[in-house]
Amino acid sequence: MGRLSWRLARVAEVRPETSRVASLALEVPGWVGHLAGQHVDLRLTAEDGYQAERSYSIASAPDGRRVELTVERLDDGEVSPYLAGEVREGDQFELRGPIGGYFVWEPGIGGPLLLVAGGSGVVPLMAMLRHRAASGSQVPTRLLYSSRTLEDVIFREELERLAAAGDRLTVTHTLTRAQPPGWRGYARRVDAVMLEEVGWRPEERPLAYVCGPTRLVEAVAGDLVALGHDPARVRTERFGPTGVQ
Amino acid sequence: MAGYVSRGFRGRRRAGDGEAGRLPPGQYAEPGFPVLTAGPTPRVDLATWRLRVDGLVATPREWTWEEVQALPRSTFEGDIHCVTRWSKLGTSFAGVSVDVLLDQAEPLPQATHVVASCHGGYTTNLPLEDVRGGKAWVVWEHEGQPLPPEHGGPARLLVPHLYFWKSAKWLMALRLLDHDRPGFWEGLGYHNRGDPWREERYWGD
Amino acid sequence: MDEADLRLDGNHVAGLLAEVFQFDMTVEWSGCAACGARNQLGALQVYAHGMGAVMCCPGCGQTQLRVARGGGRWWLDLRGMAWLQLDEGARLPD
Repeated sequence: MGRLSWRLARVAEVRPETSRVASLALEVPGWVGHLAGQHVDLRLTAEDGYQAERSYSIASAPDGRRVELTVERLDDGEVSPYLAGEVREGDQFELRGPIGGYFVWEPGIGGPLLLVAGGSGVVPLMAMLRHRAASGSQVPTRLLYSSRTLEDVIFREELERLAAAGDRLTVTHTLTRAQPPGWRGYARRVDAVMLEEVGWRPEERPLAYVCGPTRLVEAVAGDLVALGHDPARVRTERFGPTGVQ
Repeated sequence: MAGYVSRGFRGRRRAGDGEAGRLPPGQYAEPGFPVLTAGPTPRVDLATWRLRVDGLVATPREWTWEEVQALPRSTFEGDIHCVTRWSKLGTSFAGVSVDVLLDQAEPLPQATHVVASCHGGYTTNLPLEDVRGGKAWVVWEHEGQPLPPEHGGPARLLVPHLYFWKSAKWLMALRLLDHDRPGFWEGLGYHNRGDPWREERYWGD
Repeated sequence: MDEADLRLDGNHVAGLLAEVFQFDMTVEWSGCAACGARNQLGALQVYAHGMGAVMCCPGCGQTQLRVARGGGRWWLDLRGMAWLQLDEGARLPD
């Protein structure tokens, strides 16, 4: 799926999503398209030759035009404060991909789907949901999305719109650190009880995609298997300790 | 591996005044202490922890945690250099000098090399001369605190004049040999000795 | 923070392995030399040390693949894999 050589991506637009998260729309010459769930590798070089490489999941649906990344700025990060803070329209950096056919969904793979996201782990799952909507798929899908506060929920309005479209998608949030007044939703970390209430029964043989901080991903994957789900139908994308690649 | 210089990207590292002369070629000053892991962190129970020195020695020795703590305490203060290009300047470790351990084990004349082996299976190899004469320690404290597991606690080897992959984490044993035996990274393309001042990063450097 | 936080998936080294194999290795299959389990490399557990990467069997923990890169070379240790299957369909186009 595309050449594995470094190409020069140009930032066409920077769009804030939350106070810590920004989306970058990139123009990538020679881009041949991607599958929902794939990622790109970025390589940044400083004037003194110092280089840093990071991987970022593609947020946009595979419509073959621009590539969108959604990046959370980490306080002690090296690359994320640059991408979600410094970068502006016209800036360029090296990009390689798309790569990673394992953590991928497209309508032909079927369902029902259980998508579990922690923080910025929602990004590759959003690419899947955008692709699902654009292709008119009715595959029954449930997104369980864990965020610290309501203000930290990425793509909040778009998720509301997608869930209201009546095409068999439900979106369930859990807010782990603080909840707005009158909040009647989940207010704790994802656990087996929540997965059982929100997710599918093992007999329904769902496909699960779990993405976010390593701790959340491993806990959720373990819970799903303990609940009776087939481990071969649980795919994980761990983001490491801080929730971002 | 030259790349496209991106406007405004500087990276995290800071090189303070006067540090340039302390940095080996190709290194930058890192104020933190990055955790590099090649596998699960071993969990070692101090009650069963042992440190062995064996192989070509007159007296193979094994110390318990209490016994090794009772040896003469020695502190290293200085700089450490990782082959991944970060250097941590002005840090400190405390433990026991490898010279003390070797004095008790008494290396045989034909011993030329040492292989460090560790919980979790990591190994590294060194010429015996690189761990003698005040150049190496077994340490269990970093900057006054017990060495955390992710940095090699309970105890790790410390050989600061070489790249830091030689300072093997979760140390279990030092075995003296009359031949060299490449360890975990030395057998995967990294330099056999790893002198940062000669930039000995990879085979053939 | 402990190594539990640092564990990653095979996806993390997709780019690195693609440099070597010219295949998207995350969808390719391996057999564990220790326990015989079949897994796509995307399902292996990865410890991405700065000096290289280690890919482990999700079932038994056996190190299946070690890879290091530097000085214009790659080094691979595949002793932990009994076999590795590459599918023509996953070859990356030029």
